[in-house]
Amino acid sequence: MTGARQAERQDNVRTASRGGPAGVSPFLRAPEGARAVFLVILFAVCGPLAGGGVLFGWRAAWVTVLSVVSCAVTERVFYRVTRVPALLGRTHGVLTGVLLALTLPAHVPWHVPVVAGAFAILVGKAVFGGVGHFVWHPALVGRLAVAVLYSTPLSAVDSRFEDRLAVLARGRLVFGDVRKAEYAEDGIAWERRPAPREDDAHLLTPPVRLLRGLTRGEPQYGALVYRRQKPERGPPAALLQMPPVNDLLWGARPGGIGETGVILIVVAGLYLVYRTYVKWPLPFAFCAAAWVTVAVAPIGLVGPGDVPQTLWLPILSGEGLDVGFTYVNYQVLSGELLLAALLASVEMTSRPVTTGGQVIFGAGCGALAMALQLYTDVSIPCYMAVLAMNTLTPTIDRFWRPRVFGMRRFGRARV
Amino acid sequence: MAYHRGMIFRRYGTFTGGIDLPDEKGATLDEAIVPCRLPAELRVPLAPCAGRAAEPIVRLGQHVRAGERIGRAADAGGVDVFAPLSGRVGPIVPAEVAGGHGFVESPAVALTELDGPAAAFDADGSPQADPLDWQAAEAGAICERISAGSLTTFRPRPQPLGSWVGRARENRCGTLVANAMEQEPYVTADHRLLVDRGADVVEGLAILRKAVGADEAILAADRRRTGAYEALMQAAERFGVTRIALPHKYPMGADTILVKVLTRRETPPGRSTMAVGAAVVDAATCRAVFQWVCRGVRPLGRVVTVAGDRAAAPANLWVPFGADCVELTGGAEGLIVHGGPMSGLRCGRRAVVTAATCAVLALSPPATPLPTVCIRCGWCTDHCPVRLNVTALNDAFELSLVGAARRGGAPACVECGVCSYVCPARLPLAQRVKQLKQAIRVAEVAQRPVGREAQ
Repeated sequence: MTGARQAERQDNVRTASRGGPAGVSPFLRAPEGARAVFLVILFAVCGPLAGGGVLFGWRAAWVTVLSVVSCAVTERVFYRVTRVPALLGRTHGVLTGVLLALTLPAHVPWHVPVVAGAFAILVGKAVFGGVGHFVWHPALVGRLAVAVLYSTPLSAVDSRFEDRLAVLARGRLVFGDVRKAEYAEDGIAWERRPAPREDDAHLLTPPVRLLRGLTRGEPQYGALVYRRQKPERGPPAALLQMPPVNDLLWGARPGGIGETGVILIVVAGLYLVYRTYVKWPLPFAFCAAAWVTVAVAPIGLVGPGDVPQTLWLPILSGEGLDVGFTYVNYQVLSGELLLAALLASVEMTSRPVTTGGQVIFGAGCGALAMALQLYTDVSIPCYMAVLAMNTLTPTIDRFWRPRVFGMRRFGRARV
Repeated sequence: MAYHRGMIFRRYGTFTGGIDLPDEKGATLDEAIVPCRLPAELRVPLAPCAGRAAEPIVRLGQHVRAGERIGRAADAGGVDVFAPLSGRVGPIVPAEVAGGHGFVESPAVALTELDGPAAAFDADGSPQADPLDWQAAEAGAICERISAGSLTTFRPRPQPLGSWVGRARENRCGTLVANAMEQEPYVTADHRLLVDRGADVVEGLAILRKAVGADEAILAADRRRTGAYEALMQAAERFGVTRIALPHKYPMGADTILVKVLTRRETPPGRSTMAVGAAVVDAATCRAVFQWVCRGVRPLGRVVTVAGDRAAAPANLWVPFGADCVELTGGAEGLIVHGGPMSGLRCGRRAVVTAATCAVLALSPPATPLPTVCIRCGWCTDHCPVRLNVTALNDAFELSLVGAARRGGAPACVECGVCSYVCPARLPLAQRVKQLKQAIRVAEVAQRPVGREAQ
């Protein structure tokens, strides 16, 4: 009897050491593990990262390496010091580092990604207990920290030209240095822009900055486009100052390393949807809410005779539906919205779990992001919107519950 | 994968969530049922259903014939126990029988020097009663006949069939469903029963319909298997049994989900499907009823699928009750599982075959890493057939919030195991929800005023 029991115990121990609660059904498991999930997301974000490497040169790769190393080292040191087992920590730390690099411009000095990475891991993740427990997206926490700490180095490549960032010129891609930038006129297509003589990059105004000038009624712009009648001596048309929409789609505009290439971001996002790591309603609600918000949010314009006027319902009023449509698309494409919607807000731990909750979350993110972009001066409106909605995630999860089989909606069991 | 045109393929309702499981049935799908090798010893459990064990009425060393009564039920919750094979009575030994949540210890009568009826599967021992012409008989007479047979249901939690019929009548069940979906990988016992003895199953279902007083009897089967069900079509026409072929999205075969799909009625959490007027049985129970009512033969064993990636000789065997589960696999190495791989139990050393044993599987031990932390991917919630927020229930489990779990609908869980199956963090989610359900039940029993019976 004793022998049999002992044998049974040994058998249990042996099965347990092979891993897994072998005594508990189901005895079949789907092959995908959490680490594999992070690795696949890491693979997906490599697309926008590669695009950034082409457009912003070797400095983009350098910023990425610094950010990833900073995240990984902080992670390692934290778990060594506190002696907490780092469950899934390392892979997720690397993923956080890459996502953080995507949001940073390539010209920043070396200490910016390092500080951002340390903030992301320590404040964003580790103090909450690591993977699965944090409230705010760690990479965005790091981005917010450096946006506050290093606002000047982040917003200007050359101190003489405030609010101008760089993108590499034709013929200088991949191997060029974005810090060697020359002032260039806005409003010209990237591929038709003459290459600078000595430097590698063009110094351009970020498109969001141009649009903000328009919507605040600043005197340098007169209308979206002068569709009906261009006055002899009047302020220029705002949309004609913008780069062509092709530049926004392919990413040849100043901005963060991974923010600019809309097509690459969409491809990466669709890949994650295909792998079912992202449910499409969340990014869709994000983009749709942003689009609708821009379409209806009133903006200030300078009318004829330098008279400020308010444009209610920009998509309808003004100069026709097509101009309104173009204006809305510029607003949506020119910032970091696509990266926030498709790769940042879908982070698993900091978004709601249920599909309905994700729609609420995404819609809130989109509306808030565009409100911040239109009416405030913050440098990272979309990331701040995601962080703000991350705060509400536990509340959304608590109050939005799918109707359980056999129960009423939001109700108690029928008895 | 041929479809049979005698089935109804109309699109019925469906359910949210669910998953496509690997099929893995190829090894035994076309294997006809054969009697198993005569075991050296049987340990016939005296408590095949939950409840008190039957009192043995045989002496040590006595010789019993197959079908002879060896135990008398102690209360209404148990059934009489009969000798599955002829042999000599040994001592009372402990055995483990599957009881839904896990194996339960039960005293068992050891039978040695066995000598079985040769064609055990077809005859099930000698007739113990006269055949009954059920089509002429009253419903009450059929009920009495069923109660007298000491039959049990062949579900994962067996119960006396007599009391089951009684409850179905009390609840005025208008729909009787024979659940032959059998969706779990490897398991083919019910499928083979429908192929080899389909007419018996259909007639048993018709008998049960009359006993329960149901208006409609439905045979629900997996769409992909219907090509082999030629034999039962004629009988089904004769007895007016509706044949419905359903897609194989797992867990379509869970009772509450099946009833919802067929009747659009949702069972309240924690209740049986009888609460919405639908009784669910399985093919093996139907055949047992047919054998007992029409031939006077008691079921003394059941069809068990022996399969799995480690099984030496996969087969569909007719096995007498009380046979050792581990012995059935022929000494296969690895993890021996009682029942299907999604909701089955890990066999202990003393596990024996009862009415609940649809399969004994020899699987390679899962090489999964230890559970990590929940990354809140939400796949469990997406795939849950009853739309539970399993992530929230996992939080409730970790914080011991039984009340929150009850409000979250934990009693609605059908224990299909899909949440554990998909979890990338390898958390035992199904097990945790089961534990929450138990805790909720305990709390409710403690609070319930005396005199109100549980459904």
